[in-house]
Amino acid sequence: MPVTDSTTLNALVSQPAAALAGTDLQIHLPLTRVLLNEVLAARPANTPVRELLIDPNDRNRFRVHLTAQAPIVGTVSRQILFAPGMPVSFPDQPWLEFRIEEGLGFFDRSLISVLQGQIERRLPRGIELSSKNLRIHIPGLLTHLGYQRLVPLIQSLEIKSEANRLLLNLHLKAE
Amino acid sequence: MHPVLQHLMDTNFEDLSGSRVDGRIAVSDDLINLGLHEVVAMLTKSSAAPAGKTESPAPESTPTPYDSTEKKAATPDPKALLRKLDVEKLQYRTETGRTVLEIACSVRK
Repeated sequence: MPVTDSTTLNALVSQPAAALAGTDLQIHLPLTRVLLNEVLAARPANTPVRELLIDPNDRNRFRVHLTAQAPIVGTVSRQILFAPGMPVSFPDQPWLEFRIEEGLGFFDRSLISVLQGQIERRLPRGIELSSKNLRIHIPGLLTHLGYQRLVPLIQSLEIKSEANRLLLNLHLKAE
Repeated sequence: MHPVLQHLMDTNFEDLSGSRVDGRIAVSDDLINLGLHEVVAMLTKSSAAPAGKTESPAPESTPTPYDSTEKKAATPDPKALLRKLDVEKLQYRTETGRTVLEIACSVRK
């Protein structure tokens, strides 16, 4: 399936291991709070999420301010504190995990458990939300987006938090 | 233009400060040749466009005429980002069947 109008980019995405054989690249990308919130503000309009803001702090935690239209209970607003988990490395550790440390009460956790099936159907393939964590299966999500052949190139992917920034570390390698 | 790219341009790429790329980028001859052909095709097509341009009917939902006072979306200026780069290493070479770039650079804080 073509991803862009460019034949060159489509060739790169369809056969990245061959096109980039010999590449070994470390990328360190600090994403400021302002930039992250610009990205979140550019989300599609037709979602149940009314407000979504992120606030990274210096204890390797980040807080998400969320207002959304939820099934049964209507509009809910929460401030949820996430802790990034282990780095992703292939093929052993494909999950990018964010542990929920604060912000969900007993009722919220029970509701998420009850509505687990509905939540799963609304989220893109590869993204899971439970009462304890938010998990992203990187190969699953990339496959869902049409970039499955990029998966073997990702040696590691890590997200950390510091004051006002999320740090993204990515190691790409094509043998 | 995508609002995030517009934001980066409006803020002189300040939000990318501290970014760093380090390592080796290798690109196959096949991909480079494909890219060259695409660039040539694009240049040929764009130079021929004015002669072959045909006027298309206005879409039904275009109520607002062009406003010449409206701020136009600028195209990204590579110089603005390049001025912020610290290039520690940039070595180009070719090997059989591929082009290799050894690179170490960061965006100045």
